[in-house]
Amino acid sequence: MPNTQRYVKTGGIGFAVGAFFLWNYPNLGIGAALLGGLVIAALCLLYSAPLPDMIKAGLIAGMFGAVMTIVYGTDKPGVAIIAGMLSGLGAGLLVFQRSPQANPKKAAILGAEAGAIAGAWTALALLLTAFVIAPAAGVDAGEFAEHLSETVIFADALGLGSDILILLFAFAFSTLSAAILGAAACAARSLPLRPNIPLLAVIALPVLLIPLIDRAGNLLLLDALIPIYIFILLALGLNIVVGYAGLLDLGYAAFFAIGAYTTAMLSSPHLGINLSFWLVIWVAAAVAAIAGLTLGAPTLPLRGDYLAIVTLGFGEIVPILFRSLGGGPPSGTLTLRFFGMPIGIEQVDLTGGNKGINPISPPHLPFIGDFEPSNKIPWYYLLIVIMGLAIFFINRLRDSRQGRAWMAMREDELAADAMGINVVRTKLLAFSMGAMFSGFGGAFYGAFIGAIFPSSFDFSVSIILLCMVILGGLGNMTGVIIGGLLIQGADKMFIPKGAELFRDIANERASATGSSTVGVSALQDLTQQRLLLFGIVLVVMMLVRPEGLLPNERRKAELHPDDDTINSNSVAAEAESDPSLAA
Amino acid sequence: MLQLQNVHTYYGNIHALKGISLEINQGEIVTLIGSNGAGKSTTLRTISGITPPRTGQVLFEGKPLNSVPAHKIVSQGISQSPEGRRIFANLTVRENLEMGAFTRNNKSEIASDMDRVFELFPRLKERVAQRGGTLSGGEQQMLAIGRALMSRPRLLLLDEPSMGLAPVLVDLIFEIIQNINSQGTTILVVEQNALMALGIAHRAYVLQTGAIVKAGDAATLREDEDVQKAYLGME
Ligand SMILES: Nc1ncnc2c1ncn2[C@@H]1O[C@H](COP(=O)(O)OP(=O)(O)OP(=O)(O)O)[C@@H](O)[C@H]1O
Ligand SMILES: [Mg+2]
Repeated sequence: MPNTQRYVKTGGIGFAVGAFFLWNYPNLGIGAALLGGLVIAALCLLYSAPLPDMIKAGLIAGMFGAVMTIVYGTDKPGVAIIAGMLSGLGAGLLVFQRSPQANPKKAAILGAEAGAIAGAWTALALLLTAFVIAPAAGVDAGEFAEHLSETVIFADALGLGSDILILLFAFAFSTLSAAILGAAACAARSLPLRPNIPLLAVIALPVLLIPLIDRAGNLLLLDALIPIYIFILLALGLNIVVGYAGLLDLGYAAFFAIGAYTTAMLSSPHLGINLSFWLVIWVAAAVAAIAGLTLGAPTLPLRGDYLAIVTLGFGEIVPILFRSLGGGPPSGTLTLRFFGMPIGIEQVDLTGGNKGINPISPPHLPFIGDFEPSNKIPWYYLLIVIMGLAIFFINRLRDSRQGRAWMAMREDELAADAMGINVVRTKLLAFSMGAMFSGFGGAFYGAFIGAIFPSSFDFSVSIILLCMVILGGLGNMTGVIIGGLLIQGADKMFIPKGAELFRDIANERASATGSSTVGVSALQDLTQQRLLLFGIVLVVMMLVRPEGLLPNERRKAELHPDDDTINSNSVAAEAESDPSLAA
Repeated sequence: MLQLQNVHTYYGNIHALKGISLEINQGEIVTLIGSNGAGKSTTLRTISGITPPRTGQVLFEGKPLNSVPAHKIVSQGISQSPEGRRIFANLTVRENLEMGAFTRNNKSEIASDMDRVFELFPRLKERVAQRGGTLSGGEQQMLAIGRALMSRPRLLLLDEPSMGLAPVLVDLIFEIIQNINSQGTTILVVEQNALMALGIAHRAYVLQTGAIVKAGDAATLREDEDVQKAYLGME
């Protein structure tokens, strides 16, 4: 891209973002909005600039750490430690993605550099928070120092008395841990293993450590992380239907609802049935899978748009059904007429109607006892186990005969039939497998929240899940997980926390200048614009990178036919040099 | 080996096959010729279960195939290279061939059959990792035939293998068809290119608006005046 064009584009993006914030938060002042716009433009420029991959990877991954640190930092500066680790891990993976290495040693060095940049970038955001943002948001130095010593882990143990020392320690810790994780991730990725156990271990390490750091620093991140993970689990299930089998499902939240309601009805005082969670989660998955068959069977001949419309209807009907299956007057009688004869049916309040079902019994384990709502750590690890199993199972499924049948069916149904693939079974299995995982998700969700309401399963849930799948890359599990982390992270962490921060800053400025804060902008709450933001992201993605962030190779080929010659040549060359492929 | 007895096939109300009877013996190459819309492809689709017959019998090695669903026909020993090739455009050559062996489990047998396909079509071997959709027309045809062979059929159905190919390639494809046949696979080939088809086939049927109007030895039909006029473009 010629330079002028690049400047115009990035400047435009920066200006748009600045204008957006100015519109929302007039109290921030033009200066702040311009500054924000300039920062965004600078980042875009950096992204497209001819810089070494490791710097770019470090900056991109570090940006997420930095944003996380800034939005949480005024209250919980210790978040920088987790943000640094995660961005280091991300940088290590990203730099390998951009410039693959065969030599683990070289990869480790590259990953360490990228990770250190990401970690330092995150830590810089902490300094920025300490000296600029926290004061602007009305947190005075003493208050901030208190937050600092409370939330930065090891600060007490190391006897770091002064705030500057704690800040420096956090800076060093974030940079160092990011560099180590980046190096480990990049090196592990360069190993020619399948499955790549070291890589899984490197990724698992921060994921498993988060609750402990969270507890030590009292960061309360798990409240947001657990719902994020649940949605990723759902997106993985949806990816089977949409990504692998190519069946566009716009009503996937229905299966989530079915899983959650099954759990609620079978393990709560509501109906007087109180089965163990460990049994109910399987029942919920089975019921959801059967519901998947129920949706799949009548839609067998449908494709594309038609299927999308039917699934959309299904997604609308199911929550309405749950809403209307209960909540009436207790033990009333419903009179139906059957050939003119009145039949009285005792009306049972199955689902609690609009009020939903509350409470739902938590899981129980020996030694741990009932999972407490106040202690999120057992929940977190339980969910990690469920997700780990789901990822393992879906991976196996994709590489199995069944996975190949899905692939063939997605490409050409008739040809698949001619290959001896039972298309009916293949389709039904995609629907029921996809539904099954949302059944697990729904069961966990019900037990975790402890109550369910029909409004938690409306259309926007299906759409957000679809966004996650599309943003990450249809048909690619890693892509879906990343897409899910980004969208859900934005939805449940960055946007609400960022909105809070902006509000604080705006209020602080307003009170400093003595102007009123009431009624400055009806749109002041960013959280109310989240759907708009997702819409914009989707449109931009479709224009710029329709195959998603981390595309499945095949999808990419479908959407960019021009690149084919280059691609296929390099693949062919690879196959020649790699005897295992050619054998 | 395969018998069609008074087969009637419909597309909704359209009566496409009006009482077809034909027979294919073990080891033969039989060709079905006829003009556009005569029902050649429909006959193949009827055999492979995609458009099952409304009345009449399809017998394969003595067993009726009428109510066997399409996806089970393959494991009975019949496979088809369909009209328009219908290869999986976004799968590689290798993956396409693997799809052809979908119903089979024995990995070493599949591997050796793939080698056999590569022997028949060395061009495909050079392109194992190329996406099917980016192959040339001739290569796609080779892939479609190769993919059909991967199920180890005893009866191979080929729908217009020469369509859209340059004359040199047409010769090559027909040579390979003969080659496959000499290795023991019975073949039913549908062709527009009647001259070539009659050249390699043992026997032939002439189809006209859903009915068989002539049948016999390929060599004899080639000399037949009506056939020459209608399908060989000779006066
Ligand atoms: N899916 C369909 N729906 C309705 N009619 C069809 C369908 N497929 C084929 N036909 C009709 O059935 C008749 C036979 O078609 P068929 O495809 O068997 O012809 P063909 O001999 O293979 O012709 P060609 O040489 O052009 O391929 C034609 O009149 C065609 O219009
Ligand atoms: Mg035809």
